[in-house]
Parts: sequence; structure tokens; C-alpha cells
Amino acid sequence: MARILPFTTDPHRETRDLMPWLITGRLEPEEQARVEAHLAACEECSRELAGERALAGEVAELPIATGIGWAAMRDRLDTAARQAAFVPLSPPARRRLTVRKIGTMLAAQAALLAAAVTITLRVEAPTAPYHALGSAPAVMGGNAIVIFRPDARESDISRLLKANDARLVDGPTAANAYVLHLPAAGRTQALDRLRGDAAVVLAEPLEAAALR
Amino acid sequence: MSDGSVAHRQTGDIGNVATPEDLRLFAGVRARELDAFEALYRLYHPRLARFLLNLLRRPQMVEEVLNDTLLVVWERSDTFRGASKLSTWIFAIAYRKAMKALRRLDEPVEDRDAEMRPSDGDAPDAPLGRHRTQEALLAALAKLSPDHRTVVDLTYFHEMGYREIAAIMDCPVDTVKTRMFHARRHLRRLMDGELADWL
Repeated sequence: MARILPFTTDPHRETRDLMPWLITGRLEPEEQARVEAHLAACEECSRELAGERALAGEVAELPIATGIGWAAMRDRLDTAARQAAFVPLSPPARRRLTVRKIGTMLAAQAALLAAAVTITLRVEAPTAPYHALGSAPAVMGGNAIVIFRPDARESDISRLLKANDARLVDGPTAANAYVLHLPAAGRTQALDRLRGDAAVVLAEPLEAAALR
Repeated sequence: MSDGSVAHRQTGDIGNVATPEDLRLFAGVRARELDAFEALYRLYHPRLARFLLNLLRRPQMVEEVLNDTLLVVWERSDTFRGASKLSTWIFAIAYRKAMKALRRLDEPVEDRDAEMRPSDGDAPDAPLGRHRTQEALLAALAKLSPDHRTVVDLTYFHEMGYREIAAIMDCPVDTVKTRMFHARRHLRRLMDGELADWL
């Protein structure tokens, strides 16, 4: 019988069906008025409402939580950007690629990052030899660019610089890139080591021409 | 699932369009500002994580689907026109991604005849202690179909109206009400022993 009746003509059924949203206060005023009018007159529905409130409260308080966060998302964006913008790169072995088909999805972001690096380099690259305070004739231009992970610690950065005999020439740029000077002889190997480190997002050679 | 795409759009939409806050937040995302995206991520991450974990029941899968969802938000930001609430748009993407992930597992997505069969749940002999109620409720939720679980969670945890849920699940509003009714009936039957503690 109920099947052939339009839904709203049966206040008992309407109340039964709309009860959850009465509890959460998500009914429209006229719906709420109809449901409340029926509840005032129907003991069965009132009883059910009490049980339903308890269920609603329990569901809302269920401890459901995950341990995933922005760092992982940012890592995905960075990884994707790096993959799309600077190929080929040797991916750090321990960084898990969880993204499928991501290269094309984030091409725009990658292009943005690439552009930002380029623009920043053009604006901030030293046009004259860099003079460090307190060291008279320090003449050292950058020949590599590195982006560390956002959560890289100072101790990681310091360790990587020392291990590769690198000097910090400039940065962080607007794109959070650092310009380094690496010993010319072992630059390729040093860049490989940097790329292989989990704290490094990007490590690329920087040629003199790129600075002009 | 797609049969309600027209029906639910014809229903009233009180509170179902983008709020100024939605639009302000999303303007930055559309302008490809990473800071704005991070703000949106931090706002939606906890809700989506809860929503997806409830729906998928697999933490590893949740991370992938959640991040896939937010990547779509980032990448396809131009397709959000403000015709729905931002949360509706984002949750709908998450729901579609999650259902796709479930289908990849080759698991049944919905047992449409489930309501017609007698319950195979065992009613406990005695009421469990209050401290075990949540555990029992989680187990009871796990026995529901993903669609039924989704409606319960969107209603009671995310406090969404049935119209918004219909938009997210792309089904008629009456389907949402029916799913909710059957889900409640199943839960209360499965939780029979605990009900006494609740009341």
C-alpha cells in the first residue's frame, strides 16, 4: 500500500525517513514543522527518535582518523613537478612514487615551478663575483641549484653541503632554491649524491650562460 | 547511480550553493597559489580522511584516493563554477574516486537486494559495556554496503542535508532517504545489545 502512495502523504513514513536530518538540524522549515507535528502525536516515532539520536551521537564520535597529511601531499606535488619539469633525473630510491599518471596532471604546476626557478635565477643571480663579508677576495659564482625538501632540517642541509664540499652562494630564492658552488672537478658526482639524498627535491647544474 | 542526476538538481537548493567563503578560498587555488591550496588542503583533509576511511576501510587506499581527489581539485579547479557548495564538489570527486578504487578491488559496491534478506548478524546475548560500543558500531558499519555507510557518515558525522548527499552520490534524494533508512535499520539491529546502554 505504501508503495503506491506519494511519499509526502504519509506523515509517519516521512517522519521516519527524515528523522536523521531532524536530529542534525538539516531540514527545511516546512519539513521540520511537519515532522515535529507528527512526532508530537506519534509515540512510536518519538521512541524511535530517541534511539536514533543515540545512534547519531555514537556515529559522530567514532574515532576514525588517518595519519596522512600535508607533508605527503606536498611531497607528491614536488615529486610530480620535478618529474615533469626536469627529466631525466635520478629518483631517490627511498622515495615512493604513489602517483600514477601524475606527470601530465601537474604539468602546469611543474611549468610554474620551472618558470619560477628561471625567473628567480635571472633576477637574483649575481652579475658580479660574490663577495662574502670578512673574506677579502672570495670570488665564487654558483654552478649548481638545489631545492631541499620543505621539511629538511638545517642539520641535513649543513651535512650535505659539507659532504659535497659545497658553498652556499645564494638563496633561498622565491622558489626556495639555493645556488651552490661545487668543486668543478667533481660537480657531476656531487649532484648525483645530492639527488640521491632524501632531503633534496632537485639538484641541477647551473651553467654560466644560464645566469645571464 | 546516474539516474538521479536530473532529479536531485530539481530539488530545492537552500544552502547548497557556494558560500562567499568558499569562493574566496577557491579563488587562490584557481590562481595556482600553493598557499591557498595548502589552506584548502588543511581544511578538507580531516573531513575527507574520515569520509574515505569510513567508506573504504583501508588506510593505504585512503591516502591514495584522498590525494588523488585533492590533485583533481588542484588540477581541475577551473571546473568548479560555484553552482554547488565547495564541499559538495570536493566530496563528490572523493566519492567517485573511492567507488572507482573499490571497483578495482573487484568487490561488490552495493547489494541492491540486501534489504530484502533476513539479517545474518548475530545479536549479542548480553549488552556490551559502554566502552565497547564504539567497537561494535564500527563492526556494524563494516557490514553495511559502502553506499549505506557513506550516507550514514555524511549525515551524522559531516552533518550534510540529504540534498547535498544526493548531489555527492549522484542519486535521487529519495534514494538517499531510503539508503539511510535501511542503514539505520541494519545498524540498530546489529547493535541490538547496545541499544539498551544508549537509552
